[in-house]
Amino acid sequence: MSKEKKIPFVSVKDVAMWYPYHGKSKNKERGEKDWIKAVDGVSIDIERGEILGVIGESGCGKSTLGKILTRLEDPTRGDCLIDGVSTKEMIKKSNKEFRSTVQIVFQNPFDTFTPRDTIEKILLRPLKNYKIGSDDDERRKMCVEALESGGLYPAEDIMKRYPHELSGGQLQRISIIRSMFLNPGFIVADEPVSMLDVSVRADIINMLIDLSKNKGAAVMFISHDIALTRYISEHIAVMYLGRIVEYGTADDVVKNPRHPYTRALISNCASIDPEDKQETISIEGEPPTPLNPGPGCYFAPRCYMACEECYKKYPESIEVGNGHWASCPYAREEM
Amino acid sequence: MEKLLTLENVNVSYVNKEKKVYAVRNVSFSIEKGDSLGIVGESGSGKSTLAMALLRLHNENLTEITGKALFSGKNLLEITQEEMNELRWQDISVVFQKAMNALSPVHRIGEQVEDIYHIHVPQASKKEIEERMIKLLKLVNLPERVYRLYPHEMSGGMLQRVAIAVSLLHDPKLVIFDEATTALDVVTQGQILEEVVQMEKEMDMTRIMITHDMSVVAASCNKVAVLYAGELMEVGYVKDIFKNPMHPYTQGLLNSFPSLKGECEVLHAIPGFLPDLSKPSEGCIFAPRCPHADDRCRREKPVQQTMKDTRQVACWLHQGGEENE
Repeated sequence: MSKEKKIPFVSVKDVAMWYPYHGKSKNKERGEKDWIKAVDGVSIDIERGEILGVIGESGCGKSTLGKILTRLEDPTRGDCLIDGVSTKEMIKKSNKEFRSTVQIVFQNPFDTFTPRDTIEKILLRPLKNYKIGSDDDERRKMCVEALESGGLYPAEDIMKRYPHELSGGQLQRISIIRSMFLNPGFIVADEPVSMLDVSVRADIINMLIDLSKNKGAAVMFISHDIALTRYISEHIAVMYLGRIVEYGTADDVVKNPRHPYTRALISNCASIDPEDKQETISIEGEPPTPLNPGPGCYFAPRCYMACEECYKKYPESIEVGNGHWASCPYAREEM
Repeated sequence: MEKLLTLENVNVSYVNKEKKVYAVRNVSFSIEKGDSLGIVGESGSGKSTLAMALLRLHNENLTEITGKALFSGKNLLEITQEEMNELRWQDISVVFQKAMNALSPVHRIGEQVEDIYHIHVPQASKKEIEERMIKLLKLVNLPERVYRLYPHEMSGGMLQRVAIAVSLLHDPKLVIFDEATTALDVVTQGQILEEVVQMEKEMDMTRIMITHDMSVVAASCNKVAVLYAGELMEVGYVKDIFKNPMHPYTQGLLNSFPSLKGECEVLHAIPGFLPDLSKPSEGCIFAPRCPHADDRCRREKPVQQTMKDTRQVACWLHQGGEENE
């Protein structure tokens, strides 16, 4: 990482998302205990043309983070800057402009599109809204070109179809094409391939890589598939209970994980090489609730190397070189 | 080794007034005692249809099943439902993808277990059943108290473990896992797979694992069968097929998975889509998507060839088997 004072393209600053909890302590005054801390203090930078992978178990706040960055949720605390401008200010000034800078690709392509509209109508809408192209004919031509560039043939035929007449892989490609129409600088891809068949996954992944390399878009790739995330992204952030516990380049994190949670996560990840039988580190129990996770390290109750200190104070992040850091006092030690 | 289950030319088609969909076509393979066979393929390749046919869970008015599935001397596809009921739980059991739907939400786990136990052993006492179940719960790393819980009090991973434990209640010879770990987290999935493999060593059970995830097969099975559009492409030992896939479809499937730690190779998708299953195919069914297809592939259906390492491949590229590596 360079030491120059360059402003990163996307800069997330101490973002938190707390949801109120209406549980047993309903009649009490709302203290700090009554919040579910889905995301609790996340800071991260993404450069132009970079793909950042975010991995973690379900319920660790990956998707909530994506929603905050696209401002589908307003964070309780903190802010996200794009090109040095706060998204909060941006959205206040002009929602329309903000939406053309930031786009999201959702997990389930079958729910992404209005079932009543044809693909043509779906694709023309953003172009019309942003007054791109002089008339419908020109816009239609743009749609055909975009579809063909995404490998969807015959484009003319696909334009006339309804979403239910297309397969999941085709719909997901259209979803990405649509999100690219306005040349957004930042795209959040929230588990874009987990619903798709393995044989078409590679297409979507290669499309996202192409998008970030050729158009210089910053991409946040949210997934629970570690092998895939390593393949697609330059940097990986590992989340646990609303916090990033480890960050570094994809190879560093996967091959040389420093946080015990990452180690366990990767050791449990099945490899397609049957001879690559690695020692699995078992994690005891289920992930605790994000409701009142305690003062110490959130992972301490399930950690195989936790000491007393770990239960008292949330550990500081320790850098182990090459921009790779982990929030664990033992990050520098071998296991 | 003794053969536990032998499939011979199994065909399953869904029939209605207008058309007939050939979901499984001419599938033949056999499983030996103690094997763990993974059945992989894309969605729509007939993996689950095949398993449901073995369990006779299809609506018999809407399906047409031909062929043989020999299981300890009986043809599973022909025996009556009464005879099949004798086998269910006792000899063959199944774990489904969504354990939360497999368990009744209004009864405690214990009550449901008693019901299942009484089908085959009506005279069993409550205490006996509880002891047996708690032993099984320990096998899947669950605490005893689970026996008295309702399904909603547990997480998805725990429920899936309960479903696995319940399926082992009568020491079945064959357990079918139909995408049993697909809906789970990486960590939970890894743990459950490990427990299952461990259990298998202790309990001498045979397992069929239906999944679309090649890494699950690599981690937990010793044999793999690759299905495409209802036809068997390749079947053999995991160590052989993953190292040296022979059928172009198997190669395509393996190429679309990135390796966890190895070199980052370029991922390749398999172009094209599944064929229309309502038309009987001429030639190799994979030919329209196959990079090596020629005229012969489109005309004639390839015959299953047995290779040196006992695997079977249905592809013209490897015809004459022995001389080809």
